[in-house]
Parts: sequence; structure tokens; C-alpha cells
Amino acid sequence: MVDVHKRFGDVIALNGAGFSVEQGRILGFLGPNGAGKTTMMRVIFDLVHPDAGYVTWNGSPVDAAARLGFGYMPEERGLYPKMKVGDQLVHFARLSGLSRGEAIDAVRHWLGLLGLTDRVDAKLEELSHGNQQRAQLAAALAPNPELLVLDEPFAGLDPIGVESFSETLRELAATGVTIVFSSHQLDLVEDVCEDVAIIADGRMVLSGSLAEIKTRSTRRRLTIDVDGLPWIPDLPDIEVVDHQGQAHCVVPQDAPVAEILAAAEEAGAVSRFAFEPPHLTDLFREAVRS
Amino acid sequence: MNPWTQVWLLAKREFVERGRSKPFIITMAVIAVAILAIGPVVSALTGGEPEATTIGLVGEQPDGIEEELVAQGELFGIEIEVALYTSTTDYVPILEDGLAAAVLVDGDEIVFYEHVSSSLAALIQRSVDSVVTRAMLDDLGLSEGEIAAVTDPAPVSVSTVEESDLAEDARRGAAFVGAIVLYVSIIMFGQFVAMGTVEEKQNRVVEVVLSRVRSWQVLVGKVAGIGLLGLLQLSILVGAAYGSAQFAGFDDIDVAAIGLPIIAGVFFWFILGYMFYAFLYAAVGSTVSRQEDLQGAIMLPIAFILPGYLLAIAAAENPDGALPRIGSLLPMWAPFVMPVRIAADSAAPWEIAVAVLGSIAGAIALVWIGSRVYRGALLRTGTKVKIRDAWRAASE
Repeated sequence: MVDVHKRFGDVIALNGAGFSVEQGRILGFLGPNGAGKTTMMRVIFDLVHPDAGYVTWNGSPVDAAARLGFGYMPEERGLYPKMKVGDQLVHFARLSGLSRGEAIDAVRHWLGLLGLTDRVDAKLEELSHGNQQRAQLAAALAPNPELLVLDEPFAGLDPIGVESFSETLRELAATGVTIVFSSHQLDLVEDVCEDVAIIADGRMVLSGSLAEIKTRSTRRRLTIDVDGLPWIPDLPDIEVVDHQGQAHCVVPQDAPVAEILAAAEEAGAVSRFAFEPPHLTDLFREAVRS
Repeated sequence: MNPWTQVWLLAKREFVERGRSKPFIITMAVIAVAILAIGPVVSALTGGEPEATTIGLVGEQPDGIEEELVAQGELFGIEIEVALYTSTTDYVPILEDGLAAAVLVDGDEIVFYEHVSSSLAALIQRSVDSVVTRAMLDDLGLSEGEIAAVTDPAPVSVSTVEESDLAEDARRGAAFVGAIVLYVSIIMFGQFVAMGTVEEKQNRVVEVVLSRVRSWQVLVGKVAGIGLLGLLQLSILVGAAYGSAQFAGFDDIDVAAIGLPIIAGVFFWFILGYMFYAFLYAAVGSTVSRQEDLQGAIMLPIAFILPGYLLAIAAAENPDGALPRIGSLLPMWAPFVMPVRIAADSAAPWEIAVAVLGSIAGAIALVWIGSRVYRGALLRTGTKVKIRDAWRAASE
């Protein structure tokens, strides 16, 4: 996606946003609420017409035909509640251009993969919440897409749900499906993404391979607990972050680790001492600030 | 992928999912059975074949009275059966048990049970006169031919100035019933379109659908699928009504000659009227996000449809009235009013042409306006979208 602009009345939703993803990779499209993630994803499917900018896939501009090869799971989940799961998945697969036979095969395949084979004849409303989520993913997968676009797929999932959903995404990527998903919970999805594109206020603040970004960063995360409580060393270039009751610091990569540890031991019994690459949230804060 | 293939898939889903919903099937079956039952019930109430009237003969009777009663019956248009009770003179039980409508006692007394039928009394009186006169003339020695010349009634023809046209009444009645069926069907299936639109918005499935097809395809598919279901229901109901009319035993009316053109008219005007209103229903349906808010929104199409229905009633009373005439020419009301006027032979060919062409043009305009509002409002959830805002948003 290149240089996408979109204005709704007085609100500038996208101001030159763009990202790219390679085949078979999982890209986390991250940013706080209201940053423009959903608008960006809707642009891919032409649900929103951008004022400027364009979308390409394999080097060609994305048109209606190309879009049929994409699967989409919107943030506002929804399927037909009174329609049988199998019937509606076949319906969506056929809308994407599959023949009846192909659609039935595809639906059987994806329902099997997602553990819903025995619910094929159940109405959607009869399914549990978790299974409805899976049916929603199956609807996005039904046309056997090359690109899967998921808007906030982890919202509303418990930790076990997040773990099993992440595992499913990894398996899909391993079969060659390219996945773009959005999330505002950066720490939750850190383990899932291979690549990240971070958006804030309608423009990109950081993008690339997560591993590379982490290595490239000159900052390190430092977490020290003394006598069971967070302990903050006295350093000139330090940023203290209080995240969900757990305080940690972000310091330069050449911080004097041995001296800090010694100072901490002097203060009491050190129960934790971690000096590690920055997490996504640290990188995000850093990027937004610059 | 051909966009019309997708439209067909969308239409098929609407048709199948709505058509196999239990409330729909049950409602339709109940109505169809009720309509089918009307014919036999009417037939039973009106007695079907007219029964013969029995006249009892008690005591001594003039010769030839039996044949004369039957012959006079033919002249009076009443089928007469004669029952002989010559062995008794007690006629009371015969009347009490309803064995005869009237008795002739000893050839000179007519007795009814409770109410006197003057036509039956006249018939019996004339029969007695006739046989008695004949016997007297025979005694005077007149020949058979001479007797007949005296006693046979001079042919007097009976007629009316205005031709009583049962068929005309039946045709107007059927056209009016057709107008009601049109009114109910257009509201019912228009409402289905609005409900289906809201349902997709409320369940958020619309975004999944729109990621694969354009909004005009969703709209056309929905209207077409539900419209096909409407035609199916109309076929079943009209078929039931037609069958019912066949059973009702309307001897004097050619049911096929009157019914078939009106049935064809109902289908024709349903398609035009449904096209016009379905897109209006879809547009207002797309402006709300919850079924609870729909009742308020569909007041708009109802406000358009209701005057059409009232004008159809007015047209059934007086097809040449000024209001029915104007109403039958305007696109939004022509589908309700014009068929009634056509059935009453009141519409000039140019009026029919204006109504048909106007309705087609109106339906096309509504397809365009409705689609645009639908497109602008579809992805806006939450509060009710103003039609004007939706119209503007469609250009974004």
C-alpha cells in the first residue's frame, strides 16, 4: 500500500500511510485506537475509496478480480446468524469465484483445520462464542486466499484463545498464505508477527522485520526487582515505563550493566534482573516520540 | 468473475434462506388453504345445484294435474316434483316434516306450512285453472287443437332495459381482490427487503459481503431474490384463488375468461410496483442499524403505498372519478389503481400506456436513487443515517 490519504470531513484518517508484506509472512499492522488501521484495511477491499494513494499486489494494481483472491475478517465480526455454517461458507467461497465443487472442498478443508467439521450443519447462532470466531475466520479463508487480512483478530479472545489463534496463523503462513492483521495490543501480538508496520495518527512510524528492528535499536529494556518491588537505577539517559502496574526502564544499549547490578544488590535482595532487547511497546514509544 | 454471476448467487441465497424459513412456509400454507376452502364453502352455502320444489297432492285431484304442475313449473322457471298422498287427507304432517313446500288439497285448496310463496301459489292456481278449463272445453266437444289454442298461454317476452351483467361485476370484484393482493404483496416483500438489509447491517455481515461484491450487486441480488419469492407466493395464492373460484360453482360466469387476464395483470403490475417500492424499502432499510428502528423508517414507503390502495378502492367504486384517474397515471400509484380501471373498461389505451411507461421510468429512477442511498448508508452503523447524508456519502 503506497502513500494512502483519506479524509472524512474535517478528520484526516490517513495521511500518507503505506506498508508492504512479502508472501508467506505475517505482518502485524499495529497502532493505538483511532490511528487509521481499520480505514487502511478497508482501502484494500475498496470499502473506502482513498483520496490519494494506491494498493498493489504482486506488482499490479489491486482490482475487483485481485480482491477476490483476498480473505477479509472485519473488526465488526458478522455472519448470518440463522444460516447453516457450511451453507454460508460455501456461499462466500462461491462469491469469490469458486465453483460449487471447489467451494465445498475448500469449506470442508478449512472447517477441518479449525476443528468445526461437526458443526457444518449447525446454524451460526447455535455455536459458542469461540466457535463463532473460528467460523468467521473460516469465512475469510473459504475462498483459499493468497492474502488474509484480519482486523483486530485477537480482540475478545482469552490468553488461551490468543495462543491457539496465533498457532493457527503460523500454520497458515507456513502453507504460503500471506497474513496482515491489525492490533492495538502490541504486547499481546509480539510473538505472532514476523514483520510489523506501526501507524500513528494516519502515518507510518515504524516498519520492517521485527527481529531486524529489535537488533537495530540502540535501546534496551531493563527490568529490576529488589525485595520483590520494581527498582529504578539512577542513570542519566533513562526512561521509566509503568505498564499495567509493572515498571521497567528503557536505557541505552551501552548502559553499565555491571554497575547497575551492583547498585541494585546494595539496595537489597535482587529477585529479578533482566537486560534484553526492547519490546514492541518500547519500540513504538520510541518511534512515536521521534 | 462475471458480476451477474455474483448477483445470481446473492439472489439465490435470499430466495432459498427466506423461502425455507418456517414462519414463511407456515403463513403461506395457511393462507393458501384458507383461500382454497372459500370456493367449496361458498358452493355449499349457495346450495350448488338448485333443488326441485315438491308439491304434495292430497285427496281427490282433477285429471292431468300432475303433468300440468310440471309443465307450468317450466314456464315459471321452477323445477317441480309432485308427491302423491292420495291415501290420506291429513296434510299437516306432510308440511311439518318438510316433505312438500305446499300441498293442493282436493284440487281446490292450497296450504303452506308457515309462509305463503306467492309464485308457487300462482303456479298451482294456474295449473288447476288450466286442467279444469281443459276438462270443460273437452266436455263441450272441442278438439285437442282447439283446446290448446284456448288454454296455452300467449307467449309474453320478459326483459330489462339495463343488461344485468354478472360477468362485469365479477370482473370488477376480481380486479379489486387483485388490487388487495398487490397491496399486501408489495408491502410484505418490500418489508422483507428492508428487514434483510437491516439484518445484514445489524449482524455486521455486510462488510464481509462488500469485501467481495459491489453494493449495487448486493442490492439487486436482494431485490431479485425476494422478488422471485414474491412471484412464487403470488403464483400459489392466485392459483389457490383460481381453483377456489372453479369450485364455487359460478354457473353463469366464465371463470377462465375473467380470471386469467386479471391474474396476468396482477403479475405484471406486481413486478412494476415491487420494483418501484423494493428499492425504496432497501434505501430506508439501509439507513438504520437495528430492527427496532426499522418500524419508523418504513413509514416512508408505507406513506407512498397507502394512498395507492385507497385510490384503488375509490376506483372500484367509480373508475371514472377524477382522483382514481389521476392516481392511475402516476408511477407510484398506477400499479394499484390502473388494473382496477382496466378491469372496469374505464382506461383509455393512452392512459394505460402512460401508466406502464411511467411506472417503468419510475422504477428505474428508484433503482438509481435507492442504490445511491444504500451505498452511502451501508457501512455507517450506530445512529440512524439521514437519507440526505447517505446520498452525499455515496460520492465519497
